[in-house]
Amino acid sequence: MHQSVSSGWPRAGSVRHRVACEYCDTLHEVLLLPEGKAAHCTNCGKLLYQNRPESLQRAIALGVSVLLLTGLMMFFPFISLDAKGVESRMGIVGAVVHMWEAGSPLVSLAVGLFVLGLPIFLGAGLLFLCLPLSRRRYLPGMEVVMRLLQATEHWVMVEVFFLGALVSLLKLVKLAKVELEIGFWSMAGLMVCLAGALAGIDRLELWDRIEHAKERRER
Amino acid sequence: MRAVDEGLASCHTCGRVESASHHRCGRCGAALHVRKEASLQRCLAFGFAGILAYIPANVMPIMIVNQLGIEQANTILGGVFTFWRMHAYPVAITIFIASVLIPGLKFVSLGLLCAAAAGKLRLEGRLANTMYYLTELVGRWSMVDVFVVVILAGVIQLGNLMTIQPGGASLAFGLMVILTMLSAHAFDPRLIWDRLNKEPI
Ligand SMILES: [Zn+2]
Ligand SMILES: [Zn+2]
Repeated sequence: MHQSVSSGWPRAGSVRHRVACEYCDTLHEVLLLPEGKAAHCTNCGKLLYQNRPESLQRAIALGVSVLLLTGLMMFFPFISLDAKGVESRMGIVGAVVHMWEAGSPLVSLAVGLFVLGLPIFLGAGLLFLCLPLSRRRYLPGMEVVMRLLQATEHWVMVEVFFLGALVSLLKLVKLAKVELEIGFWSMAGLMVCLAGALAGIDRLELWDRIEHAKERRER
Repeated sequence: MRAVDEGLASCHTCGRVESASHHRCGRCGAALHVRKEASLQRCLAFGFAGILAYIPANVMPIMIVNQLGIEQANTILGGVFTFWRMHAYPVAITIFIASVLIPGLKFVSLGLLCAAAAGKLRLEGRLANTMYYLTELVGRWSMVDVFVVVILAGVIQLGNLMTIQPGGASLAFGLMVILTMLSAHAFDPRLIWDRLNKEPI
């Protein structure tokens, strides 16, 4: 029984387990999937749920990496310039502060939130959920954190910022000697880890694990 | 069989299927609705606000370059042309797609989806799904030009040689992206399938 809970998801045989397609509302019975497989809507083909292998362990590893890389990105410079002896160096935090001082506080806030704040929240939130859940422990507040994670995940824009950095580089190389710094490479890594963290665990699985851990505590 | 036909609602947050008579989801505590609340109204309101922001975003300068004391205001389309003339075609095309084409297509797509959900237009279900999926997926990428300004203004602080100030369009453009993302998020694709179920072919 315990084995099937930790390795197999969703829980088979639970009467409550039905799922409605997000796009067309067709009702489906939830079946126990082999690892790595996904279930799709029989009516419209939309993805219903997946059974990702080693989902909790991966989420923990990626959550730690996201926090570390965001830290590196914040404390190290991103790009440095050398234009005929005049040097200039930019870090992400510096760019956000500069935007505020240049009279665009809202743009500054948006960048701070979408590129720094939300990735940190996502990494920390995943750890807060997955560390206890990997031992089938429930903590109060897990539902709130999970809801916030779901509400904010669309707003993480690290990969968009990275594309912006690439476009900027093409402008900059015409002006000066450009050096890519640690912050730049941290962001490249962060982009990969965030994509992995978001794709590596199914939302319904996480909710189901939270519910199961809570029931187990109350018993 | 749809959930609504069985008197069931699936939670928008956690996906749990519950009796539609409940007000709150028993698992995550979110308010329970059979369909997203006031979906069309919210989608259209955010969409029109987004179109309003799209105008200054393209007319106002996105950044002001001060080179050796000479100020030059650049608009987004101006930037596309500059890159094109510099023969930097991939960059020109990237900026054009992210800043002009994607927002435009998003407005069209959301308009068509709303029309279909309101019964003014017949849209095939799977096509509507694909349109909605893509609209949600590409939304964030329009932010790229705002980030370019943030990066350039942050890094090019070369004293008298050259500085870059953000222009009014950077705010308008950021707002436009946020508003269209909210608009897409408010839309409920099930409304289109409800129409298709009501009027069988
Ligand atoms: Zn479906
Ligand atoms: Zn719920």
